[in-house]
Amino acid sequence: MVSMRVNDEMTEVAVDADTPLLWVLRDLLGMTGTKFGCGIAQCGACTVHLDGVAVRSCRLPVGEVGDRAVRTIEGVGSTPVGARVQQAWLDLDVIQCGYCQSGQIMAAAALLAANPEPDDADIDAAMAGNICRCGTYVRIRDGIKRAAQHG
Amino acid sequence: MTPRRRNWMLLGAAVLIFAVVFAWRLLFLPSALAFAGGHQVDLSQYQGASITGVPAELANADPVTNGKYLAEATDCAACHTAKGGKPFAGGRPFKLPFGTIYTPNITPDRETGIGAWTNAEFLRAVHKGIGRAGERLYPAFPYASYTLLTDADVLAIRGYLSTVPAVRQENMPNSFGFPFNQRWLMAIWGTFFNPNTRFRPVAERSAQWNRGAYLVEAAGHCGECHTPRTLMQAMNTRRKFAGGQAEGWNAYNITGDRLSGIGAWSPTDLASYLAKGHALGRGVASGPMAEAVALSTSRMTPTDIAAMVTYLRTIPPVSSKASPAMAGPAPAVASAGPSDNPGGKRLFEGACASCHAWSGRGAVTPDQQLTGNRAVNDASAANVAMMILNGIGSPEHSGAFMPSFRAAYSDEEIASVANYVTARFGAKPSRVSAADVRKMREE
Repeated sequence: MVSMRVNDEMTEVAVDADTPLLWVLRDLLGMTGTKFGCGIAQCGACTVHLDGVAVRSCRLPVGEVGDRAVRTIEGVGSTPVGARVQQAWLDLDVIQCGYCQSGQIMAAAALLAANPEPDDADIDAAMAGNICRCGTYVRIRDGIKRAAQHG
Repeated sequence: MTPRRRNWMLLGAAVLIFAVVFAWRLLFLPSALAFAGGHQVDLSQYQGASITGVPAELANADPVTNGKYLAEATDCAACHTAKGGKPFAGGRPFKLPFGTIYTPNITPDRETGIGAWTNAEFLRAVHKGIGRAGERLYPAFPYASYTLLTDADVLAIRGYLSTVPAVRQENMPNSFGFPFNQRWLMAIWGTFFNPNTRFRPVAERSAQWNRGAYLVEAAGHCGECHTPRTLMQAMNTRRKFAGGQAEGWNAYNITGDRLSGIGAWSPTDLASYLAKGHALGRGVASGPMAEAVALSTSRMTPTDIAAMVTYLRTIPPVSSKASPAMAGPAPAVASAGPSDNPGGKRLFEGACASCHAWSGRGAVTPDQQLTGNRAVNDASAANVAMMILNGIGSPEHSGAFMPSFRAAYSDEEIASVANYVTARFGAKPSRVSAADVRKMREE
């Protein structure tokens, strides 16, 4: 039995401690907003927050979460930064197919929470590990800057 | 005698003395336990708990289980199984400076394996490095260490090996050229460098220490990789455990030196590293050591791990240039790192940062930490580049995992990201070239 805080609510799941958090979120808690991409922490589709820091949930054993708060795409809108990022994404129609975008939004929200005015180099350093097959990178960059301006 | 002639004679004498001392030091090396002092006695005379055989946890196990345990402690499987091959059927290549040698089939197949060998022949091979037909074996087979194993333990291993599935697979000839293809030369090598004695415990030391010594020196044959080699390819026991090489990877200094070795590791760190392949803040076992952990040390009982730790912590410190003092923490901000390698930085941000983090402290799990890791603080960056090429573990299993980037990036790219990693997180920036990486790909 593993207990943890997900999107401000305590939850308990009966799984082995080495089960990846992504499996717990999607298969046991039914939160399918977080996507499975590569399964080896190389694409960023599974990005969630642990105490506000962007983490790849496909490689995170649920037993390692401990008392750190988990936040997913389902709950990011309830944080001020997350809400701004989502609004910027809507304003600019950032999304194309959308598969990578929950990961992109989570990575962008974590970046802005740590660095409210990132320059292009900061955005590259934080976002380069989040891959978008549709190539929406230019709009992602604009979206981050728009969310920063509206802070 | 003219002064001129006298000078020549003095010079000649000096050269002769130098040559004798040089040869003496080359040919006569301290024994494995010489550093410990005290008196080495026969096993039968040692006053204390049993040192050889299986640990107390297996006291009531059957002979095959015991033989399997000892075959794991001696890690036969690592070398005698080829990549993707059948267990113990051999064929794994070892690239040495003089050519490539392939491990032989040690399954019970009577024609191609060792099924037809007598016990005496098996003992002679393991203790003396002599093959079935009387041919001398190359010390790539670590008989200079295995010679310390008791007859009973060697035969218990034999007993286990006779129960594994027989595989019909011919041995591959080695590619050594003259003079290295002259097997009889190994008889001379063995005379000097194979002690050909069974383990003799140190009377003044505890049973746990002596058990650890038996496991590290005889079974684990740790020194075969971790002790530097002399010109004669013998383990240079004057610099015991000060670091060596294995298949393109550096086997680091495991002496008690606090800066170069593992003197600063706690017993818990060491036990965790041997049992799980990872010690918090110290790094993960990678390359051949990851194999040694997976196939050998992780399968050993807690009492045996504790014994090895006790023994390893008594190895005298030797400082080595290749293992300098490690760098401290790295900056958490991306832009604060080295600025002279934009290509390496670009690769790091796309492929590495999401797990290792810009701080190098690990973003997802603690085993991803780069700072405080010996490989990252090694200015040759051999293990960093080998790790990037080969990765570790598998995503389907728990434990350390890193994908292989062999197919994804060019030699140039792998060199630049390895150099970025050592510059950002290590003690001294490396200068790995694309040509170096090309060679590493072939290891």
